[in-house]
Amino acid sequence: MSILLLALLGVCLLQSTVAHRLAIGGVQPDLFLVLVFGLSLSTRPELATVGGFLIGLYQDSLSGAPLGLNAFTLSLIGFLVSQLSRQVKTAELATRFALLFLAGITSGLTTLLVLRFFQVFRPVASTILWTVLPGAIYTAILGACLLALPRPRWMRGLGR
Amino acid sequence: MTRLLLRYRRPLILSSALLLSFVLMTLQVRSQSPLADLTKRMLLTTISPILRIAAVSKATTVSLWKEYIDLRRVRRDNQLLREEVRQFRVQVGELQEAAQENSRLNYLLQLGSPSGTEAVAAKVIGKDVTNWFRTILIDKGAREGIQRHMAVVAPEGLVGRVVDVTARAARVQLITDPESSIGCLVQRSRVAGVAAGSQAGAVQIKYLPLMADVVVGDRVITSGMGGIIPKGIPLGKVIRSSRPNGALFQETEVQALADFSRLEEVMVLKRPPEGDLPSGGGKRLP
Repeated sequence: MSILLLALLGVCLLQSTVAHRLAIGGVQPDLFLVLVFGLSLSTRPELATVGGFLIGLYQDSLSGAPLGLNAFTLSLIGFLVSQLSRQVKTAELATRFALLFLAGITSGLTTLLVLRFFQVFRPVASTILWTVLPGAIYTAILGACLLALPRPRWMRGLGR
Repeated sequence: MTRLLLRYRRPLILSSALLLSFVLMTLQVRSQSPLADLTKRMLLTTISPILRIAAVSKATTVSLWKEYIDLRRVRRDNQLLREEVRQFRVQVGELQEAAQENSRLNYLLQLGSPSGTEAVAAKVIGKDVTNWFRTILIDKGAREGIQRHMAVVAPEGLVGRVVDVTARAARVQLITDPESSIGCLVQRSRVAGVAAGSQAGAVQIKYLPLMADVVVGDRVITSGMGGIIPKGIPLGKVIRSSRPNGALFQETEVQALADFSRLEEVMVLKRPPEGDLPSGGGKRLP
């Protein structure tokens, strides 16, 4: 739990102070998604769901998003990735990249759908093309590399 | 019963998390409930001091790193010259930084004073963490008298307006945010429109009549309509204007004068919004 809180704190700091400097064409990587993904690979689906929910709440508080938007998306992704990681070998870089990319796409599409439900309309085609797709690719590349980095012993719980 | 709960715990936990998220969103967006606002502010309050410390630590680290680089460079020279050059560079760097900051703050103060509006200078301590919204966090909040709907400006022009306030920090919705709408005027021809942000991060002027006199290069300023943003603050410059067949209005795109990727300090104009505004300024902002 303390490792998760430390990682969450680190991601909050990185995402709000550094991530926008890494933005390419206005698209920044979603480090919160990478954190949920890493957590989901190493825990049971119920813990991944709760972790995703809490991480999403913090992401919402640091963003202009309505409270619950990212909590909704990330708890869903935490559950799905954790379930999937029990059936697919997730140790390889390519598999992690593919799963992170799918998680990014799912996150984007879910966000788009939920915003639409609450009457916040965004142009579907251009949002997918210029926000969801590039964001998913960028997050997948960066996330797969980050999760492949060697970690100190106390952090090995995240994304084994 | 317990066995049943244990057996279906995963779908139950997932459903609960999704339902709770949905309820929070509905409370905030549809009912404008204070509970969701309170929760969001509590979460923000727990993280904003750490962000502030991180911003200070980052500045210190950058300063230390620059000093280290300077030291490496002058090591090639003799001992005396190296020491002299190092001290000189550090001093010049500090003075330049102080002078630049001084000049920016002076300009910001001048920007706030002509309208007789009291203004508060604030440092930018964080940027929006998603690609969906365009907001920034500043290090001044309710303790410094910041309130929702106050206008925020940079030396170049309008930055946005305050949408959330905690005791020591506030969130500012940029004019490029897709949910932002601000009354504006084309300075030369005095044609009025609404400057709205977009998903792509550009600012578009809506509701400009087809016959309105607008050309590329025209400066756009705030109109003061709506009573939230004072009149006459520079907003941007027209970079594209077209009149599509069959359309009711012109399609005009404006480049904001403020460079949002390089914002370090901003000025919050403490002009209270006129009249009682709903908590989201009309439609509740997400």
